[in-house]
Amino acid sequence: MSTSTRLLPKDRAAAALRVLGVVAFVGVAATVWLGLFVTPPDEFMGNLVRLLYIHPPMAWVAFLAYGVATLGSLLYLWPRTRAEHFDRLAGASAEVGVVFTGLTLVSGSIWGRPTWGAWWVWDPLLTTTALLFVLYLGYLALRRVPGEFHVRARRSAIAGLIAFVDVPIVYFSVEWWRSLHQAPTVLNPTTHKTYVHGSMAWTLLLGFVSFTLVYVWLVAHRYRLAKLQDLEDTEGLEAALAERRAEAVTG
Amino acid sequence: MSGYVEAGYVVVLGTLGTYGITLMVRERAARRRVGSVATAARHRLRPAFSAAPPDPSKDADIRAQAGDVSTPKRPAGEGSGPGTFS
Repeated sequence: MSTSTRLLPKDRAAAALRVLGVVAFVGVAATVWLGLFVTPPDEFMGNLVRLLYIHPPMAWVAFLAYGVATLGSLLYLWPRTRAEHFDRLAGASAEVGVVFTGLTLVSGSIWGRPTWGAWWVWDPLLTTTALLFVLYLGYLALRRVPGEFHVRARRSAIAGLIAFVDVPIVYFSVEWWRSLHQAPTVLNPTTHKTYVHGSMAWTLLLGFVSFTLVYVWLVAHRYRLAKLQDLEDTEGLEAALAERRAEAVTG
Repeated sequence: MSGYVEAGYVVVLGTLGTYGITLMVRERAARRRVGSVATAARHRLRPAFSAAPPDPSKDADIRAQAGDVSTPKRPAGEGSGPGTFS
């Protein structure tokens, strides 16, 4: 196989990633334009409703990211599917998930200050989301603890599975406990009704799709970076071996 | 419109933009480093490869220090201690 044919799939992947980045950027720009300038103010919240075109998509992407990280961890732990790329995928997705969880907390706090009169309340949903953020920060810290690759990957995968237990608790906390935070409005699991309509619903839907594309783009880049870092470690190791051999010859 | 709305959008978009650009810059730098390390290993040290055959025991020590996956495990007692010298 020639070099050019071997590089072709990589080039295609890079081109696809660039296209994905452009589509995600256009989608986010459209969401911002519709959210800030086209959609009407809400009957009760006024202009503050515009923050809800970005806040729920942030939370959704965080859940998605942790779901993918958990899937990667499971596939790594399962002996038949164990492969380095599943560990890398789990790490990349969890890191992006932490960014989106942080943005969920900050955007929610900015919305809560004028709505509830406080930047932060110890509401079950907020508290469990903050716990989720800290759990996955711990997961990322654990990934950086030095060690043999498979040992590090296995303990990270187990930690990832433990951290994921908090995700359903976050989601159902508004149902299980008396919460200040409102129940889901897009599709309420209890009433099975949608409380968003017209241009507001379409803008919110576009926000969900656009930020999901942003997530995929970020994870792809983080995955490639992790792969390069692993390759760098291997290359550095090979260079060290070669230097030792050179020393053996000269010495 | 209240300042809260603008602040929310600036924080979210600014953070995602900064994170995305940081990832791209780090990826590019890593790609450069990998290229330079590989080139150095191939060109600068080529005579050493041809002059001396690899010493698996030394390689194993270096790999073990680096936490490498493919560290060849030496059976207990082999290569050291009495009884292995023949």
